[in-house]
Amino acid sequence: MRLQAALFFAACLSPAAAIYPDEVNHIDFHHALLGTPSPDSTFFLKPSPASNASLLYTLSDKLLLGAVNPRDGGLVWRQNISRSADSPAHGAGLLRGLDGNDAVVGAVGNYIASWSAQDGKVGWENRVSEGVVGDLELLELEDATATSGVRDTIAVVASEGAGIVRRLNGNTGKTVWEYKDTSGDVPFQVSSSSTEVFYISLQSAMLKGFKIKVTVLDPSTGQQTRQQILNTEADVATPESVLYVGANSASPIILWTDKSQKSLKVNVIGTKEINSITIDNTSGSEIRQITVHAPRKLNALPHFLVHFETEAGAWAEVFHVDLMSAKVTKAYQLPYLTGQSAVAASVIDANVYFTRITDLEAVVVSSASHGILGRWDLQKPSSDIALHSVSEVVAKGKSVAVRSALFRKHGDWQLIRNGQIEWSRHEDLIDAVAATWAETDAQEDLAHELEVEGHETLYGAYLHRVKRHIRDLEHLPDWLKDLPKRILSSILTDEVSNLDSFGVARSVIVATKNGRVYALDTGKHGAVSWGVQAVETSQWIVKAILASPGVATIYSDDGSSVTVDVSTGEIVSRIEPSNSKLHSIAVFEAQDGSSLATVGVREDGTPVTAFVNEDGFLVTTSIDGRVLGWFAKDNKTPVWEFVPPSGEKVVDATARPAHDPVASIGKVLGNRSVLYKYLNPNLALVTAVNEQTHTASFYLLDGVSGKVLHATTQAGVDSTQPIASVMSENWFAYSFWGDVDGSESSAKGYQLVISELYESPFPNDRGVLDSATNYSSTATLPLPHVISQAFMIPESISHMAVTQTRQGITTRQLLCTLPFSNSIVGIPRPVLDPRRPVDRDPTTAEAEEGLFRYAPYLDFDGKWYLSHTRDVAGIKAVLSSPTLLESTSLVFAYGSDIYGTRATPSQAFDILGKSFSKLQLVLTVVALGAGVTVLAPMTRRKQVNALWRA
Amino acid sequence: MHFSLSSLLLLGISSLVSASSLTITIPASGPLPNPHVLPVTSHATLTTLPSGGKDHILSASLTRSATFVFHNLPSSGPDAQPESYLLDIRSAGDYVFVPYRVDVAADGSILGIWETFRGNPWDNRGAEKYIVDVAGKKQIDVVVEAKVLGRKVFYEQRAQFSPLSLVKNPMVLIAVVALGLMFVMPKLMENMDPEMRAEFEQHSRSSPITGATSNAMAGGGFDLASWMAGTGGPNPTANDAAQAGSTGRDTSGPARRRG
Repeated sequence: MRLQAALFFAACLSPAAAIYPDEVNHIDFHHALLGTPSPDSTFFLKPSPASNASLLYTLSDKLLLGAVNPRDGGLVWRQNISRSADSPAHGAGLLRGLDGNDAVVGAVGNYIASWSAQDGKVGWENRVSEGVVGDLELLELEDATATSGVRDTIAVVASEGAGIVRRLNGNTGKTVWEYKDTSGDVPFQVSSSSTEVFYISLQSAMLKGFKIKVTVLDPSTGQQTRQQILNTEADVATPESVLYVGANSASPIILWTDKSQKSLKVNVIGTKEINSITIDNTSGSEIRQITVHAPRKLNALPHFLVHFETEAGAWAEVFHVDLMSAKVTKAYQLPYLTGQSAVAASVIDANVYFTRITDLEAVVVSSASHGILGRWDLQKPSSDIALHSVSEVVAKGKSVAVRSALFRKHGDWQLIRNGQIEWSRHEDLIDAVAATWAETDAQEDLAHELEVEGHETLYGAYLHRVKRHIRDLEHLPDWLKDLPKRILSSILTDEVSNLDSFGVARSVIVATKNGRVYALDTGKHGAVSWGVQAVETSQWIVKAILASPGVATIYSDDGSSVTVDVSTGEIVSRIEPSNSKLHSIAVFEAQDGSSLATVGVREDGTPVTAFVNEDGFLVTTSIDGRVLGWFAKDNKTPVWEFVPPSGEKVVDATARPAHDPVASIGKVLGNRSVLYKYLNPNLALVTAVNEQTHTASFYLLDGVSGKVLHATTQAGVDSTQPIASVMSENWFAYSFWGDVDGSESSAKGYQLVISELYESPFPNDRGVLDSATNYSSTATLPLPHVISQAFMIPESISHMAVTQTRQGITTRQLLCTLPFSNSIVGIPRPVLDPRRPVDRDPTTAEAEEGLFRYAPYLDFDGKWYLSHTRDVAGIKAVLSSPTLLESTSLVFAYGSDIYGTRATPSQAFDILGKSFSKLQLVLTVVALGAGVTVLAPMTRRKQVNALWRA
Repeated sequence: MHFSLSSLLLLGISSLVSASSLTITIPASGPLPNPHVLPVTSHATLTTLPSGGKDHILSASLTRSATFVFHNLPSSGPDAQPESYLLDIRSAGDYVFVPYRVDVAADGSILGIWETFRGNPWDNRGAEKYIVDVAGKKQIDVVVEAKVLGRKVFYEQRAQFSPLSLVKNPMVLIAVVALGLMFVMPKLMENMDPEMRAEFEQHSRSSPITGATSNAMAGGGFDLASWMAGTGGPNPTANDAAQAGSTGRDTSGPARRRG
């Protein structure tokens, strides 16, 4: 108790245990993710005409727009445009950039905007009122009116029965001219050459298929100059049949194949002629995919590459276009190789280079001839399939250097520079749906041995212990060998002592939506230890993920489960899906915290199985918003049922965390009297909202009896905004958007309400319980005395959690996820004390307790931000775990980004921090030693002299 | 490229939107001398309670000219009630801005903008930033200036090592004084008049501690541990006093170990 009081005062003196600048990237890590980069919206680009180095730009499938530094894979800037469009976006968005332009232009649905390529700030934005943006191209040609560094955009808008081509000013986004095609053709794409703008639409043919219609427009006025219709109805059945429409090229092309994929059909846009080229398929197997890679630059040579993929291998053919005759001829072929390959085109001045990355090597060829300019063996051949890549080639005299950003099927985005993997981004982690702390079995052995010793006779236990210690001696030579290195490194490294053995380095098992499972090591800055494809699916609905020593089990909603080894990622066992769809997974835990038994809960709230041997109870929620209480032995009839008042809908239910130690059963007041905490392990907090009357009700239930212990209703609540709630120890907290509800003093803004539960309103009094050592939920369960207080907070909280420490002595922090500022904030509990005096200054006794005057507005102190200046976006859940150090709690957040840190709510009182300099200590001791050796002879001489003088 | 008929339904909805817009500029101020340093994730939001299917959370990103622009404020039918929004500007938690109250009429035009105070009733309005001109024409594009309150400090500063702080340490101060006495006192004694010196020594021996110190300083192997324990033979001080009186020799007592 005294320690707790001491800690409490320590916490009051400096309520913020903020992060030190030198601890950034040392105790925390952050994976800023983008998602799967879409193949035609990913490119290398120089952010401004003046800069030398280029950045890697992409628009991902999650509609996150970002620039990545190709040097280290770090994110330069990021914009989330998924909410910008009024209409739901259809598939991927579009992103275009152009060398010499200092902005990138993108479109999603009906939203089209330009962002500064350097820092990602919005240049202009437009919402198209007529329809959705179908295609986008930056106009490379410069006319007299344009300022340098700013390029205009040509956009195709598909609206009902018409296609609109617009030229948008590069500075303002305003429409320069507009061409409206009301013929009813399907608007397809836009393309441009140095002198003309081409609008390509698909005209329905008489019977079936489409004719490609090319409308040639004047780039400065938008007037139609001529029109061409290609008779392609035999080959082009759907818009997807057209494989490629070139843009920003001296001679842009349209490419498609005939139905049997025997020959390529190429049309140089603007001409009437269709070149037919036979596909030289030597592999004998069916072509699965044809992709076209061509330069996107006006002054580049009119060469292009067609890449053919079969089931087993791939080859590519390079073609040249004759500008005069518009004839297309095959130049050479890149040979058929088994395995996967990814090709990318890049341009230096006018020369075009193609980079081909296969399973084993990377090859660079010039478009002009088939000679290989550079070949590198891949250092770590990957078995993961390469989906697409973009490349940047640098020519140094005769030799070339190349860097390619390669996206692999399992979600790794890698930069390969001259065959070496420079960095790897695990973009797949953006789909994380569930995570848990792994439990290793190393400690388990010792615990087991100790258990054996505890159950034996005194003599037997002693012998067992001696034997165990003798066995431990075998580690001694290794330990001695490591000793010098450890001493040296502990002096030189930042951290005074390596805390990994104190449970600070734990693995987190993360399951993603597309059926993959990863292990991230928090001791190694969240590095991925392993990743496995656990289930072949794209929609893995994970209901629970549970760790037991050595393994982790992931439960899915169809009743199936997968158990993986936490150290290797090996799949240990599998349970096949059952026929019932599960709503949630409940966990039975034995008294000692071991032997986990799980039970699936159906959508109507009934448990799938009954446990004859278990003596527990179960609280479930059903999909229609009821809360049910069950005995473990009976899964037929619920013991109790909680149905909210009519009009209300249960949206959430929380309970105390499984690990929630209580260090003190009471709260010591300033006058040394004690308020006893209402500590009931069976509490459940149910949130119900009424969407019509804008109210939210919070019910505190006893899980065994179903009795409502406390209920409160808040008015003016926006039920569409997140209502987060959390419970721990003897308190619970929730937050919501509270609006003006008619009463005079009501405010508009986000609110955080905290309630503490006590056994009685009077100190030194346990109410009806008095001196009882135990109580019953079913007989006479006393109601708690609830003290609540509300705070206005500056922004919305989407998720709440509480820091967990080993003994619960350290003050707790309320971990809140702030979705608007992309941060995680840890509010110290003493600040949120509902007993803070209102409208008066605290008395001496209250001040001694650490209470200070209540203020309705609670601003988040900068030092409370666990994520400090990081942009931790899209967090859906925060996990906290105790470590062997009482002061330290591990925090892991996932959902979109991945973020991990260590929280020390009462400061790191049991760790020698960085401010403790071992080197200084050693130097002091050395200096003292030197002083003694110098002074000792002097003193001795003096003593002898004194004796003689005497 | 990707079309579906559902996207075309937008046409009908969008025709209702009026063209009223709100632009928030960020002037250079004390805490924020250069508004262009704001991080790219900075954004402004307008929030209210959902009613009648209108957008109740609007968001605007930071532009290259360090402004936030809300295009096309939502409007509903002419019979609808005016809506009151809370305007927040958030800059990655870094800079703190004053929240504003923005009242928007049913037709999407702005009625007024005031400063507001969190934790106060909504009707408690602060400084007026804009008010609609009742007599004159309606202004379509409203421009207001944001107000920066301050900047959040995220990091704890580590105490820097400085020689001055070392000197200020009381332990060090005591040590320095003691050291000074140790070296200066014998010098002073030597310069003293012999008679006075004898008197001083006589005086100092009567005090046990200073006597012990002077003994130690004089090079006598005084055993502090045994003196403090009260063992190690007779009390050196008492002995010294007696002996000094009889022999006049300047020695420490017999308890002294020789060699």
